[in-house]
Amino acid sequence: MSAVTHRAELEALEVELLIEGVRRQYGFDLRNHSRPLLLRRLRRHLREERLDTFSALQGRVLHDPEALEGLLRALACPPDTLFSDPAFFQAFRTRVVPMLRTYPSIRVWHAGCSSGEDTYALAILLMEEGLWGRCRLYASDASEGLLADARNGVLRLPGEEDARNYREAGGQRALTDYYTRDGDWAVLHPTLRESIFFTQHNLATDASFNEFQVILCRDTLLAYNRSLASRAHERLYESLVRFGFLGLGRKESVARTPYARAYEELEGTGRVFRRTG
Amino acid sequence: MSLLGLLVVGAPQGASAEVEALLASLPPRLPVPVLLAVHRGPQELLAGSLARRCPLPVLEPDDKDELVAGRVYLAPAGYHLLVDRSGVCLSREPAEHGQRPAMDPLFESAADAYGPAVAGLLFSGHEDGWAGLSNLSSRGGRVAVMGEGDPVEGVERVPLKDVKDWLVRLSYVPRMKVQP
Repeated sequence: MSAVTHRAELEALEVELLIEGVRRQYGFDLRNHSRPLLLRRLRRHLREERLDTFSALQGRVLHDPEALEGLLRALACPPDTLFSDPAFFQAFRTRVVPMLRTYPSIRVWHAGCSSGEDTYALAILLMEEGLWGRCRLYASDASEGLLADARNGVLRLPGEEDARNYREAGGQRALTDYYTRDGDWAVLHPTLRESIFFTQHNLATDASFNEFQVILCRDTLLAYNRSLASRAHERLYESLVRFGFLGLGRKESVARTPYARAYEELEGTGRVFRRTG
Repeated sequence: MSLLGLLVVGAPQGASAEVEALLASLPPRLPVPVLLAVHRGPQELLAGSLARRCPLPVLEPDDKDELVAGRVYLAPAGYHLLVDRSGVCLSREPAEHGQRPAMDPLFESAADAYGPAVAGLLFSGHEDGWAGLSNLSSRGGRVAVMGEGDPVEGVERVPLKDVKDWLVRLSYVPRMKVQP
């Protein structure tokens, strides 16, 4: 066996032990996370912590809850920008909003809101379409740290590209109408922040907490492997009313989940599915 | 020598004509899946033009799609393409070397999942891909840089016209009697 192969096998063993340690000590179960993604983030975290081996990281994490917090933060995807996927919001505006207009009240759940960029983009869209008055927007994430960021409503200052994305998404005003500049940061207006219900919820472990007419869960399930993603889809399915809308990421689908037959894709929307069964 | 399980290819933005030529030269009954990371902008439609002369179907996979031998999986714009033993894993992690999709993440995940059963081809011209290629090679995978010229950093160079033979050599397995 070559030295490199030996090192690779040792690393694989150390990763297993780290995952097992985190699970038994803190109850965070990373076993069913997407393994290639997990490996990449763990390796980057290791470099940033200037540690040589996962065994060393394991020692630190087991003895120091703050090191665990750092690890979990490193596993989260860094924030996107407002309207980072304009095509989705554009399709939502033209295809879903007209149907939502016929509803007397609308409950919306953004599952896996991370630090809130897409949540705020959605809130802006619903306001511009005159639906905000009858909407209740819930946004959840498994990480308390990210939720705290989302609640703060302070984002990196949008640049020209963000303004362009906003217009491409069908934005009707100026993006600057929605925030106050504070140096390199944008503080979103309180009307936006205060009417979103941010709540801690882990798609991997927590039960459904309400019924919704619209659920967004975009690129969140990339972090899970197939079996865990299927379980998360069970949560989403249970939480969506019949004929409700499910918005997934541009390269996600219900096709490989047990609920493939329960949804119809809205044509030309990228990835908005309607629950029909 | 272990059996070939996967072919990964990386190319910078300027190389799409060469990538098209490479795909055109692939054998129509390639016994492994091909994963392809090409640097690209958010709006660029690439799969269509790459598929034009390729005897194999070229597609942009969804997350968690299974890998099927004889298909070419092109990294979608805005995502890193990763792979594990059960199929495709996409990632929205930040750009690497200023690129998303980038080549290093693909090569690295292929080395993790398939070890020596990976063959890796790199079109040079960008800093991205070299770390991943050397990772593949140190794990026992067969790697080469595409194009004419001297070997670079100790990696074999394969001219486009010879890549077919190179692949045949890799996937050649002596015929054996197989009991059902």
